[in-house]
Amino acid sequence: MIIDVLIALGKIAVVLLVGLGLGAYLTWVERKVAGHIQARMGPSVVGPFGLFQPIADGVKLVTKESIIPRGADVPVYYLALILALVPSFLIFSVVPFGPSFTVFGREIKPIISDVNIGLLIVFAMGSIAVYGTIFAGWASNSKYAFIGSLRKAAVIVSYEVVLGFAVLGVILIAGSLSTVEIVNSQIEKGIWYIVYQPVAFILYLFCMLAESGRVPFDIQEAEAELVTGYNVEYGGMRFGLFPLAEWYLNVVGLSAIAVVLFFGGWSGPHIFGPLSPYIWFLVKTFALVFFTLWLHWTLPRFQAKDITDIAWKILLPIALLNVVVTAFVVYLFS
Amino acid sequence: MELIVFIFLAVWLVLSVVGAIIVKNPVHSILFFLSSVLATAGIFLSLGAELIAGLQLIIYAVAIVVFYVLVITTIPWEKIKKFEGIYLGEFLVGLPFIIISVIFIALLINKYDISSIPVKVEITDNVTRVGKTLFTYYLFPFEVASVILLIAMIGAILLGRKEE
Repeated sequence: MIIDVLIALGKIAVVLLVGLGLGAYLTWVERKVAGHIQARMGPSVVGPFGLFQPIADGVKLVTKESIIPRGADVPVYYLALILALVPSFLIFSVVPFGPSFTVFGREIKPIISDVNIGLLIVFAMGSIAVYGTIFAGWASNSKYAFIGSLRKAAVIVSYEVVLGFAVLGVILIAGSLSTVEIVNSQIEKGIWYIVYQPVAFILYLFCMLAESGRVPFDIQEAEAELVTGYNVEYGGMRFGLFPLAEWYLNVVGLSAIAVVLFFGGWSGPHIFGPLSPYIWFLVKTFALVFFTLWLHWTLPRFQAKDITDIAWKILLPIALLNVVVTAFVVYLFS
Repeated sequence: MELIVFIFLAVWLVLSVVGAIIVKNPVHSILFFLSSVLATAGIFLSLGAELIAGLQLIIYAVAIVVFYVLVITTIPWEKIKKFEGIYLGEFLVGLPFIIISVIFIALLINKYDISSIPVKVEITDNVTRVGKTLFTYYLFPFEVASVILLIAMIGAILLGRKEE
């Protein structure tokens, strides 16, 4: 009993620490990638290859003065930070990092909670994150911030619907909402679901970019028109938390879920010894994260009205069609 | 262990419901309401109703509350009615209803022992069971409900349409 609780707490601690460190170092990765895409060097002064740059940035953010704007709603202003950060972390609670193993006769699953509704949790947390944005914009008492947060709300509401229907195809084939079960069914069948569901994967990519506020869907922070939008009135580390949650944790979390749904999770040839499932999982996840960064620094931004248009008029009908076709095929061939 | 979880969630739920009623700022009120929805989802989860907990989060906490939030946060603050002290007249008019409903609830609690702490159900295939019941036994009510929702949606689109 107590050991179970300790194991659960240990898993949570590992995910929290790795998540925060990852968030910090993804800023370095992003700046390096952006630099090389734009024929620059990226950070290169602080430490070898600029590797200490995130630490310097962190020190800068923590020691900076952060002011609360006049007329702000102070409790909601702080609550918005928590509402933005916590859901992005909770996505990781249903990510299976590898197959279960035994230590001293006790089975340990490298997932925080293997619930039957794993995917529902992912959708729920992805959309609850919208409250962080809305309340950050509202509590700041600033028109720019508020316009940004309303745009984000419109994007999330539309793309959450598409995301749900896109993933239904995979759920129909796998016959389960549990992330572990979905990976196991892919390993049993010996095929990745991207082969069966290529349309769903493309729809998922669109939704992933939209939910994590990445280009081409980053209208809520459109620097040129909204001076970074909903988080403009936050300063210091409080400002730093929003990109950490939205740009890094959300992208990594949703990429990990994409790997679980479409790329067979931890499956892969055993070429790295006992650690190979974990290495495969991380390699696939970070390939997707890299793809996201690549798009971010290559594409221009859509207009606000186009984004919701695309979701409701193009992506949603395709997603519905995909679900109907998948249901028929699954019914006929099983 | 389960008792601790239940007490924690129950206290959280009751506090947030009370908060939603007594705070004056509508945005704070909707935040307390959101918190009560999350607490309810937690109670469902602790009782083993995983599917309902997930749907509570997705549909209630996000799809429905987000529209309340959008409407309330875009209200122009200069135009809303200011708080004018205790509404004594309104309170006296409402008092009989409060007394009657308290009596009814007390009777219900006495008659059907609903005051005991709910027990966890040991079912693992929530999703399958709900799906089977919904699409066999309750198929007709389910379809009627979706037609009603569709009609409401068309009505809302018609009302919100700009005149050309």
